[in-house]
Amino acid sequence: MSLLTVNTAEIVKKQFLFKLKANIDAFSSLVWIQLLAILFSLGGVASQGSHSDGLSISIKYFSSDVVIAFTMIWGLVTAITITTRPYRYFDFSFVTNRITSSLSNIIYLFTASVLGGVTAMLAKGLLIIIGYLFLDFQLLDFYSQSFHVRDFMIGTIAAVLYIFFISSIGYFIGTLVQVSRLFIVGIPVLFIGSMFLDGMMQREPMAMKTLQFYFMETSLFIFIVKVFISTALFFAASISMLNRMEVRK
Amino acid sequence: MKVIECTDLTKSYLRKRVLDQLTFSIEENKITGLIGRNGAGKTTLLKIIAGYIKQTSGEMSVFSQKPFNSLLVSAHSIFVDDQMSFPSPLQLHEILDAAGSFYPNWNMPLAKRLFDYFSFDPKHYHNRLSKGKTSTFNSIIGLAARAPLTIFDEPTTGMDAAVRKDFYRALLKDYLAYPRTIILSSHHLEEIEDLLEDVLLLKDGKNHLHVSIEELKEWAIGFKGAEEALMNWTKDTKVYYKNQIGRNTVYAVVKNVFSEQELQQAKAENIEITAVCPSDLCIYLTGETKGGIDDVFVDR
Repeated sequence: MSLLTVNTAEIVKKQFLFKLKANIDAFSSLVWIQLLAILFSLGGVASQGSHSDGLSISIKYFSSDVVIAFTMIWGLVTAITITTRPYRYFDFSFVTNRITSSLSNIIYLFTASVLGGVTAMLAKGLLIIIGYLFLDFQLLDFYSQSFHVRDFMIGTIAAVLYIFFISSIGYFIGTLVQVSRLFIVGIPVLFIGSMFLDGMMQREPMAMKTLQFYFMETSLFIFIVKVFISTALFFAASISMLNRMEVRK
Repeated sequence: MKVIECTDLTKSYLRKRVLDQLTFSIEENKITGLIGRNGAGKTTLLKIIAGYIKQTSGEMSVFSQKPFNSLLVSAHSIFVDDQMSFPSPLQLHEILDAAGSFYPNWNMPLAKRLFDYFSFDPKHYHNRLSKGKTSTFNSIIGLAARAPLTIFDEPTTGMDAAVRKDFYRALLKDYLAYPRTIILSSHHLEEIEDLLEDVLLLKDGKNHLHVSIEELKEWAIGFKGAEEALMNWTKDTKVYYKNQIGRNTVYAVVKNVFSEQELQQAKAENIEITAVCPSDLCIYLTGETKGGIDDVFVDR
């Protein structure tokens, strides 16, 4: 009997392709979530109006931020989903170990983030077209609506990284729940509890400060570094926990 | 070469010891039957071999590696049972394709022929299959993967008699065409005894008996005769099974330690001597108590 050597990268690649096919439902739910977000966006985020002597002006502001926010939630849910028992067990019907299973999950989540991020950015265009064709919007400040390659690129990179970052948190939370069911209760208690505590002590909430740390960053480079390191930490912690976990016991 | 070597393997869940200091080894290219009563630890043992779960203590080595988290062991072994799960969006033919991409020795023509023979619909979904069909499909994967270590954990759950027979025949034919190490756990030893070379009998998580099927067939002997006459023969050895037949006739199973001469003498004393078939013997050997189910209802 001759045993073939097994190439880890080769197995990860096969698992990734398998997962793209197996988790196809996640992408159809992405379409619905973004359509829903566009529907919400059509209401506008702010409006102002003025009128005098028979003249009335109403200005409405529209933004596709809701689409990106919804896509981030989608990333979180997708990441939690693939840590659940059935999804982990699928790998073990074929060739795998716990490391390759997680690595292919991470590559899958990154692919999903790219797809989610790019479509979320393109949703802005769809929003404008729908408004223009069907809702009779007059575009003010036409210049800012037009397409800037550079802005679009930066926006897309940021959106993709946000979604990927959120999905790494989702993967981490999902893993914790797999380690112990207590975390289903524990994580919300910790999160909401910390906000109450901050409120009682009359200081800026921790959650707020954390959000600012990531979301208020003005330099793209530093933002990328911050997100990269945080994402890597979350995934590394998840892998080290999953690596000891028994399957199909 | 030894494919599986296992020493002092122990696995506990909370307070219960499922496997207890289990030691055995399995040679390459043998078909071994793993036999034991419900809860004897068969599935736990097989899952440790497949690397799904980790032992509490002791050593397990498969292809000279620890199976837990070993990619080599995973690539060269397959574990088939009725709990095998596949993603619900995949159709059956896509699952076959996926299995083909993972297993280096995968034989697609064989998979396709078995698939057609058992009349599966390629566009069907795995989670919609009936219990017997699920087992049949999983077994097709197990056979076509041609993994050097193939583990079937009660593969025939839910299969009807005809399919069970076909499956065992397919297993034997493909084994002859492509020899590999196979472990088969089953409650129906009488169905698989023609297939097996070795039998590993588990009792309470321990290695109770590990012999070839020929040895098992001659391992024990059944005496039938008058109680007083039998007493002489069975008083020094352990009686594995005893059954009262009629008023003064008793059937007893003991280990076959008698010489030809002694057996002739027994016959002269009007004792009927019979062979004990392996499946009955396994039930006697793993029996928890002296009596049978009848004793439960004795005082009612």
